[in-house]
Amino acid sequence: MKESKMHRKGGRNVSTRQMWGFKGVRALLLMALILIAASCGVGQQAQQGGGGGGGPTKICMMPKLVGIPYFNAAEKGAKEAAEQLDIQLVYDGPTEAKAALQSQMIEQWIQQQCSAITVAANDPNALAPAMKKAGDAGIKTGAWDADVAQDARDVFVNQATFEAIGYKMVDLMAEQTGGKGKFLVVTGSLTAPNQVAWLKYMRERMKEKYPEMSIASVQPGEEDLQKGIDITKNYLQANPDTAGVFGITSVALPGAAEAVKQIGRQGEVAVTGLSTPNEMKPYVNAGVVEKFALWNTVDLGYLAVYVANAQVEGNLPKSGTFKAGRLGKVKMLAPDEVLLGPPVVFSKENIDQYDF
Amino acid sequence: MSEARAPTEGRRVSRGEVLRRFMVRPEAPALVFLAVLVAAFSLSSDKFLSGTNFESIVISVAVLGIIALAVNQVVLCGEIDISTGSMMGLCAVAAGAVALSTGGLILPLLAAVAVGALCGAINGLLVTAGRIPSIIVTLGMLYALRGVILLVTGGTWITGVPNEARVLGTGTVLGVGYPVIILFALFLVMELVSRHSTWGRNVFAVGGNRRAARFAGLPIDRVRVLAFTLVGVFVGIASVIYMGRAGSVQTNTGTGLELQVVAAVVIGGTSISGGRGSSLAALTGAVLIGVILNGLVLLGVPGIWQQAVLGALILLAVATDVLRRRLVEGKA
Amino acid sequence: MSAAAAVLRRLTFSREVVLLGVLIVLMIVMSILSPFFLTVNNLLNTSRFFVEVGLMSLGMTLIIITGGIDLSVGSNLGLSSVAIGFSFAAGLPLPLAIVLGLVVGTAAGLFNGLFITLLDLHPLVVTLGTFALFQGLAYGATGAEAVSDFPGWFAYFGQAYLGPVPGQLFIFIVAVVMVWLILSRSRFGRYVYAIGNNEEAARFSGVPIRRVKIAIYSGIGLLVGMAAVIYTSRVYTARGDSGLGLELDVISAVVLGGASIYGGSGTIAGTVLGVLIIATLRNGLTLAGVPSTWVLFVLGVLLLVAVFFNEFFRVKEE
Repeated sequence: MKESKMHRKGGRNVSTRQMWGFKGVRALLLMALILIAASCGVGQQAQQGGGGGGGPTKICMMPKLVGIPYFNAAEKGAKEAAEQLDIQLVYDGPTEAKAALQSQMIEQWIQQQCSAITVAANDPNALAPAMKKAGDAGIKTGAWDADVAQDARDVFVNQATFEAIGYKMVDLMAEQTGGKGKFLVVTGSLTAPNQVAWLKYMRERMKEKYPEMSIASVQPGEEDLQKGIDITKNYLQANPDTAGVFGITSVALPGAAEAVKQIGRQGEVAVTGLSTPNEMKPYVNAGVVEKFALWNTVDLGYLAVYVANAQVEGNLPKSGTFKAGRLGKVKMLAPDEVLLGPPVVFSKENIDQYDF
Repeated sequence: MSEARAPTEGRRVSRGEVLRRFMVRPEAPALVFLAVLVAAFSLSSDKFLSGTNFESIVISVAVLGIIALAVNQVVLCGEIDISTGSMMGLCAVAAGAVALSTGGLILPLLAAVAVGALCGAINGLLVTAGRIPSIIVTLGMLYALRGVILLVTGGTWITGVPNEARVLGTGTVLGVGYPVIILFALFLVMELVSRHSTWGRNVFAVGGNRRAARFAGLPIDRVRVLAFTLVGVFVGIASVIYMGRAGSVQTNTGTGLELQVVAAVVIGGTSISGGRGSSLAALTGAVLIGVILNGLVLLGVPGIWQQAVLGALILLAVATDVLRRRLVEGKA
Repeated sequence: MSAAAAVLRRLTFSREVVLLGVLIVLMIVMSILSPFFLTVNNLLNTSRFFVEVGLMSLGMTLIIITGGIDLSVGSNLGLSSVAIGFSFAAGLPLPLAIVLGLVVGTAAGLFNGLFITLLDLHPLVVTLGTFALFQGLAYGATGAEAVSDFPGWFAYFGQAYLGPVPGQLFIFIVAVVMVWLILSRSRFGRYVYAIGNNEEAARFSGVPIRRVKIAIYSGIGLLVGMAAVIYTSRVYTARGDSGLGLELDVISAVVLGGASIYGGSGTIAGTVLGVLIIATLRNGLTLAGVPSTWVLFVLGVLLLVAVFFNEFFRVKEE
């Protein structure tokens, strides 16, 4: 193996390469030894990071992803609550809405000795193992905004029931279209559990109360504004008798509104759905969208921190109501579910009061 | 990147046949494919060839096409740029921020172009002076710039861009949308520059055979830095059009665009090894992608298959390019 | 300079020793930033996260040594992952589903290899195309849904421990040793270096270039399949978008480890150190409370800096 091609043109010679390889192995062994020595000598936390292991309460809160206004708003509320309660808050999440990245971060947080971990899950089952591990390590577990599997967390902070949201959107649309017509629904992804649930209740509401309304098509906008605009435009051009468009995510609704505005059909085609007020202000003020719904996302973040703190202190009730700071009495839907309240309807009259 | 192989001598016209001369052009297969597709789609769906639909296709590919025209030059000189998606996001953020604070159109446009040119220049310098292969530079920049966007915006979107800043996206001149006009104007500019300017011809030379170009004394580094910077400038322009159309700038604006841009360039007929191609190829590729994506929606194909179609097209395009060259130019 | 001093000098400045130094410094910095970093639990826990990238980096080392590149490994992982999950959900017994995942991964790699060699195309654009194609197939075939109902024992690949040590670490160590043997102690390995140094000369020397290339692209496909099994087990979900973005970490690790992107040099030891450095950075920054957005930026910059110094020192040596 030791060819002595010491003077090969322009590059490493083979025997040097053999040496590198061998030296490399020795380097690796050396490093392994150092690692073992270091970890034995340093850091005597032999047990996994545990909850309540002395020190101030640390709530670790994770959104679906960082970098979108909806979760920035939740962060605002969460920080407010943490200040009021005088506890430490870690609010962080992956830069993409992926469950795998979330579960990795959760596992890293277990090492950080959080008192409680609460997460808005991108996928309820994928996060279950990581959350269970956190639970086993003595950390209080919870979910907010989007639930994980029920046996993987102690409590879920729900912003509004799927039923309330689905029904409200249909009611708003019925107001504007006289309770009849064919409608397009622009959603985020066809598989997001909450969006699927809303669709179910929307259809239910239409069947019960507005039999002349029907959902003609459901298109995924994939949380991409331009895509939402293009999809809505294409659909409306292909189906000009559409009575209205539901945009049921905070990206889909402004996209639908923009599309209707660009093809000049505001007033003819009703637009409503779910989104954040700041995104929708231009469209509400221009009359493209009369009313739309959401919940107060800032309050949701605020409540999630209060609930997590109550878990840590051990005084979260199992039923009835629970006092959460400035929100007052908040309802317990079930021993493991807290409800923020009914959806908020935004319109020209009240939209300027909100800043998120 | 490995050195370019034996120089492909562009269009070696052996006989005077017009057809043969056409088929040898790099953009020929793409143009033929485009014609076939347009015919097929308009036969299968009467909504396809309606004026509004066709215009909407071109508008939706305007952003893609403008960037592809510039990336085309980068590919022609033997490099590649896969950072354009994040670059566009950053330029759009700059344009949006300026538009919100000062209003008007010129200032946001200048801001976007300046930011784009800066990023492009960084790419170019890292490739030439840093001697880092362009695939790595632009891969690193793709992620680094996306991080910059998140850091600079703090995660908030830019919404409520005033109408005067959105003119390039939504305005019309004589009934034709600005994006279309700008796309074709830039196409003409690139055609002229590419064929009749020193720099344009140098680009072909550097991409065709870098060693020969170096021996011939061509300023290889300057040629490439200019190409990368040009990408930045065009990305800046495109970002203002995007912002105009969308009305707001998200933190994930532009994600995935870089793949479509390279696909457009390659599918249109420009060779990835450099030295062969044209601006018409880039334009054709962009329009082709727009037609295909639009056609897929019309045919009711679910959006999730788009990536697969894009990938298959890229592979088909490069394979066709190789096979066609072997066939037409008689190489073994 | 005496022979002993010359050897000592080469030992001191060998690429791998420099990397080792960087790794140690990095670990010290991270442990200062966060008291939780340098604990046995954390280090072992972190090792669970880098095995997938590590396996793929081993294969990528060979590819980059030959002057090629493979941008499709991330998408391939997603494709293999859904092959496992969805075939299982459709009724295939899990062990067979796992084998199917390995087969799909290898087949995808083989597809790359054939496309590149038979059509004599640049690996860059072929794998750019397959990057989109594999991801698109993974999404389209599964309707962007996910499968999460795996039986308990499936977790062993990604979540089991042998004593305190995570199971997949052993798989990784075995893979490292095997690939290192292939690369530095076999004729195949020499072929790989030969192709990277000068492909024309290698062809004239009788190196079976096509077969070697097909082998390395299929090989990384197999490693991707293995990584997919471990990844799917660790996150307990099979989704089409698993693994997207990992190609950045993989290529960064190999380049950081000293391989020249132009081909001709690179070692397994270097790559492994590169993988460890990146894993340390990711884990350390998160523990220190650095937001994810900064981490993204840091990794992009790291890639650029790493390659820059690579080429800078390479020229110095010559």
